Amino acid sequence: MNPLALSLILTTLLAGTLITMMSSHWLTAWMGLEMNMLTMIPILMKTTNPRSTEAATKYFMTQAMASMMLMMALTINLMYSGQWSITKMTNPVASNMALMALMTKLGSAPFHFWVPEVTQGVELTPGMILLTWQKLAPLSLLYQMATYTNTNLIYLSGLLSILIGGWGGLNQTQLRKILAYSSISHMGWMLIILPFNPTLTLLNLTIYIMLTLSIFMILTNTFTTSMSSLTLMWNKTPAMTIMLMTTLLSLGGLPPLSGFMPKWLMIHELTKNNSIIMPLTMAIMALLNMYFYMRLIYYSSLTILPSTNNMKMTWRFTNTKHTMTLPTLITLSNMLLPLTPMISMLE
Amino acid sequence: MMYIVFIMSVLYVVGFIGFSSKPSPVYGGMSLVVSGGLGCGIIMGSGGSFLGLVVFLVYLGGMMVVFGYTIAMATEEYPETWGSNVVVLGAFLVGLLMEVFMIMWLFSGEHELMGFYFGGLEDLMVLGEEGFEYVREDYSGGASLYSYGFWFLAMAGWMLFVSIFIAIEVTRKRY
Repeated sequence: MNPLALSLILTTLLAGTLITMMSSHWLTAWMGLEMNMLTMIPILMKTTNPRSTEAATKYFMTQAMASMMLMMALTINLMYSGQWSITKMTNPVASNMALMALMTKLGSAPFHFWVPEVTQGVELTPGMILLTWQKLAPLSLLYQMATYTNTNLIYLSGLLSILIGGWGGLNQTQLRKILAYSSISHMGWMLIILPFNPTLTLLNLTIYIMLTLSIFMILTNTFTTSMSSLTLMWNKTPAMTIMLMTTLLSLGGLPPLSGFMPKWLMIHELTKNNSIIMPLTMAIMALLNMYFYMRLIYYSSLTILPSTNNMKMTWRFTNTKHTMTLPTLITLSNMLLPLTPMISMLE
Repeated sequence: MMYIVFIMSVLYVVGFIGFSSKPSPVYGGMSLVVSGGLGCGIIMGSGGSFLGLVVFLVYLGGMMVVFGYTIAMATEEYPETWGSNVVVLGAFLVGLLMEVFMIMWLFSGEHELMGFYFGGLEDLMVLGEEGFEYVREDYSGGASLYSYGFWFLAMAGWMLFVSIFIAIEVTRKRY
């Protein structure tokens, strides 16, 4: 894309999320969400094939519908309460409708259908922006308005997200779809803990963003988008293959890596509130996610598939992709667990 | 004529059904014009004469005219109308049926229809820092956009500007 147009569009993408996160008035929050949606479309359509166009169209349709529902919810709230503040949506129709709209924007079940298709249809970098940056604005709104919503709806959607994220990702060989289902599953975890302790939602969001950014950047650097290309990664960059292994284990929530921190604290918080069956179900369903991450790890790091001898020695070209932030991100996504007491800074 | 605003909003929804059933954009544009005019009528019936005329001018006179001209450039030989395709007709009839059910539900309930207050836009409100200045609410809304809501206006203008860039990027050489 033309650098001037790209910088304008990225600036507006940033501005949209920041406006939503900084606003206390529903209209400005909605305006920021619309800015996000509109400027995301040319980013998703950066490549010129019909698949990207279709993915951008699907993204636009679902997000526009969610924005419409959100606008209706906040006008209903205005009609019954006469004020526009985000934290005081006392009318149940308005708050539940806004909840459903924001869940559609986040891509949590039962409104998750657009996530795998849109993530698969675009390149790795727009997919990365879609799964990480676009979660910030709706979650900041959910964080503020969740106290007045029906918590049963939040638990239902969260559990369903974890189930669908787990089972949906099992039959996938394309890495972008696997990461999309992983995103759905993590949204489920974030939603469930929202009525109990919203700080843990933010913690989970932070660690999830770090992990997803690491994985996407490793995949971008090695040009792998499917499991078959993963099997050849050991030859190109053995170091990144090992880092992919540890980062995927962290994404699955395995101790002693960072991904274990939010899951552990969430289960702790849920059991402190006398809820036993739900964290049990969540923890068991997270194993489904772990299974297909293990499959990726098996095919990338633990096995070398049979190949001819000349494929075992590749000519090392210079890497043209920038890896500036990658070592920091990988370190953060693997080794943050001893810093768990520092979560008090998120409150 | 007590129910004029109600009738106009029902016809507004019917107009929306008319283009949501996806005929050709030529007929969709006509349906949008009808809905836009009725929407303006709803605002005027609620007392907001200024805002209704703004809707007519900007929406119908600006947006729809440009939309109509672009459709006229991209029209096809046999545009799909509501009666030509059974899918479009079916969608239109389903939408109409839902609207009829909703009206029946509205008239069957215990609450009376006149409970909706349709005059909210002709109230007087206080605008300005010092003194008591009573102005009409719809005028003051338009004026507040330029004074208190300056950043809203700035963001709206910025987004219109960025939308041009987005539209140009989207309609570049793609398949």
